Amino acid sequence: TRSSDLSIIDGKTAVPRGSSEQNGFAEKDAGSKNLSAGSRESYEETPLFCSLTSYLTWGLFIIVAYVRTFLVKIGVERQKLREEAEKYSKGFVPLYSSFESIYTRYIYRRIRDLWDRPIASCAGARFDVMERISDDHNETFKLTGKTVNAINLSSYNYLGFAQTTGSCADAAVDAVKEYGVGPCSCRREVGTLAVQKELEDLVAEFVGMPAAMVFGMGFATNSTNIPALVGKGSLVISDRLNHASLVMGIRLSGAKIVTFQHNDMKDLEKKLREAIVHGHPRTRRPYKKIVIFVEGVYSMEGSVIPLKELVALKKKYKAYIYLDEAHSIGCMGKRGRGVCDYWGVDPTNIDVLMGTFTKSFGACG
Amino acid sequence: MASEAPMSIYDAVIGTVLNAPTYHLAVECILIIGILYLIFSKSYPISSAKDALTLEEEEELIRDWQPEPLIPPPNPDAEVLRERIITGTPGPFAVVDGKRCLNLASFNFLGLVGNQEIEEAATKSVRKYGVGSCGPRGFYGTFDVHLNLESELARFLGTQEAILYSYAFSTIASAIPAYSKRSDIVFADEGVHFAIQKGLQASRSKVKYFRHNDMDHLESLLKKQKDEDVKNPKKAQVTRQFIVVEGLYVNYGDICPFPKLVELKYKFKVRLFIDETISFGCLGRNGRGVSEHFEDEKYGIKDVDLMSGSLEHAVASIGGFCCGTSYVIDHQRLSGTGYCFSAAPPPLLAEAANVALKMMAEKPGEAA
Repeated sequence: TRSSDLSIIDGKTAVPRGSSEQNGFAEKDAGSKNLSAGSRESYEETPLFCSLTSYLTWGLFIIVAYVRTFLVKIGVERQKLREEAEKYSKGFVPLYSSFESIYTRYIYRRIRDLWDRPIASCAGARFDVMERISDDHNETFKLTGKTVNAINLSSYNYLGFAQTTGSCADAAVDAVKEYGVGPCSCRREVGTLAVQKELEDLVAEFVGMPAAMVFGMGFATNSTNIPALVGKGSLVISDRLNHASLVMGIRLSGAKIVTFQHNDMKDLEKKLREAIVHGHPRTRRPYKKIVIFVEGVYSMEGSVIPLKELVALKKKYKAYIYLDEAHSIGCMGKRGRGVCDYWGVDPTNIDVLMGTFTKSFGACG
Repeated sequence: MASEAPMSIYDAVIGTVLNAPTYHLAVECILIIGILYLIFSKSYPISSAKDALTLEEEEELIRDWQPEPLIPPPNPDAEVLRERIITGTPGPFAVVDGKRCLNLASFNFLGLVGNQEIEEAATKSVRKYGVGSCGPRGFYGTFDVHLNLESELARFLGTQEAILYSYAFSTIASAIPAYSKRSDIVFADEGVHFAIQKGLQASRSKVKYFRHNDMDHLESLLKKQKDEDVKNPKKAQVTRQFIVVEGLYVNYGDICPFPKLVELKYKFKVRLFIDETISFGCLGRNGRGVSEHFEDEKYGIKDVDLMSGSLEHAVASIGGFCCGTSYVIDHQRLSGTGYCFSAAPPPLLAEAANVALKMMAEKPGEAA
């Protein structure tokens, strides 16, 4: 076979074109990560050499950090890094635990220039990244004033709505002129604007659910509203890799928490059966209700929830589903209505569907 | 002396076995038989097979279990379900459900809602940056307007650094858990508002509430804690203690006694967090908050470990901020959950806040 007849799947093995592996349909093998039928995802397992060297380097960093802390303590090396003011060193308990400060000072500081890079233009297809230099090994940064025009592959601009002209930007300008920038009030007082009611009706129609509510920030939506849905006496079964906002909301609610392996429907079924049959592990009381917290598309993994199996489980075990479609709303499915559209599931099967306007819609909330 | 020939292994092992006393051999044989029995016998889980439920019993339990509805049945006549719709700008006069009313209900302390200069700046910002920031602060969601606003806030308040959040509620609810962990102690005022209560709950620290604005009660609690620390100095060395108060209380409307609080802070070596949600912009000669309001010669903003403020009240934008020394604030850039795991505030809101801040700094005390 000629080299053009082969395609490289995982960078190592070449398979003939037209084979099922080349199309992206994963065969069920040891590393398949429980993909459901019809899924077009494939995962590459980390090579052993890579993981070993990563762990070794990480361990080396930590050892060097502790050695340098020791050297500073015995006075061999001067402490050039930020310390708390004099008045706090006597009698006050140090604000940060020792590992936290060692990690930030010696490990994170080395690679700090990769994060928090400021940009000076719209986060569209191309943007201007501002140049920064550091004289003191990434402790502080100075902007040089120059910008680098770069292709943007990192913003959550999935549908390209981050633009300065066009109907969306014009609508935003008109809204500012009509309603002002902020209402200085909460929704219950003088904060419910007519345009917000319009948005809520539109969102409900878009997603295919009876009603919708909008909030000012996606993180706050999860962390403040989950305590209203679950409380003490309920059970929350959440995916192990859920977002920090979901975890914070679930912790604040006071419900009992059980986690299942990422996207593993068999593990979820096992945990559901155990919960219903045995109740709370210590008191043995039956749970008042069981809510399953999952995401449509996981932001760190890029994996998609096998929604058909999940809905089948929910119907069999009478649980409720809270689906966080922060990333998938607007960009998954033929009509862009999210993972329900992608899998062909009726959205009214989901009890609570959460989404954000920050990603596909280019706004915030 | 000639050395003896080394004994062969055969002689060494068999010789010791044959020379050992009989009872020793008997005990060892019994032990070996016991170990072999345990290795080869079947093992059962602790909840033995007799107590396990059969599949039919499990299915029956699953069929019979009836969950509660997700929410209790709502009351259709509840006052809270009747929303008042505002059309137009909710400024000093607002059109509520079609009727024009005098608006005494919003936190529009400086009258900046509907200000033309702010709206122009927001409009220009939309034309330059678009509407959304499309990313968290860590990954190319930081705009130069955010950095400008942070440095302006720090300069206006007289602190080293400020950090900007997208929502006022999550500001203090993320700031407290970033510093106070499970083993720490927080002395909080009884009347703190809901966001602070959520922050305290999320931090999982031990919270001791003192009676609203009662400094004597706070002092007695601190003294009790100090006595306990004296008994247990090792634990006290790793237990951080914080006082959390508000500048102007949202639920009560009264001001905290700032000089007395700072005095207690230095006396008992605890950290002081002040939440200036509604006092930023309206207390103090220039609107710098409760530390400027008291105009104490000894104590000022530099004695507060963390001041958290809101841009949603006096400043008429959306968002929140925390300010203090770089040593304290920089920690939130990695540990503040509402900062790291959330999108950056839209540039138009940051620009509006920037212009409002400039107006506050240049024309203090004037009506907008």
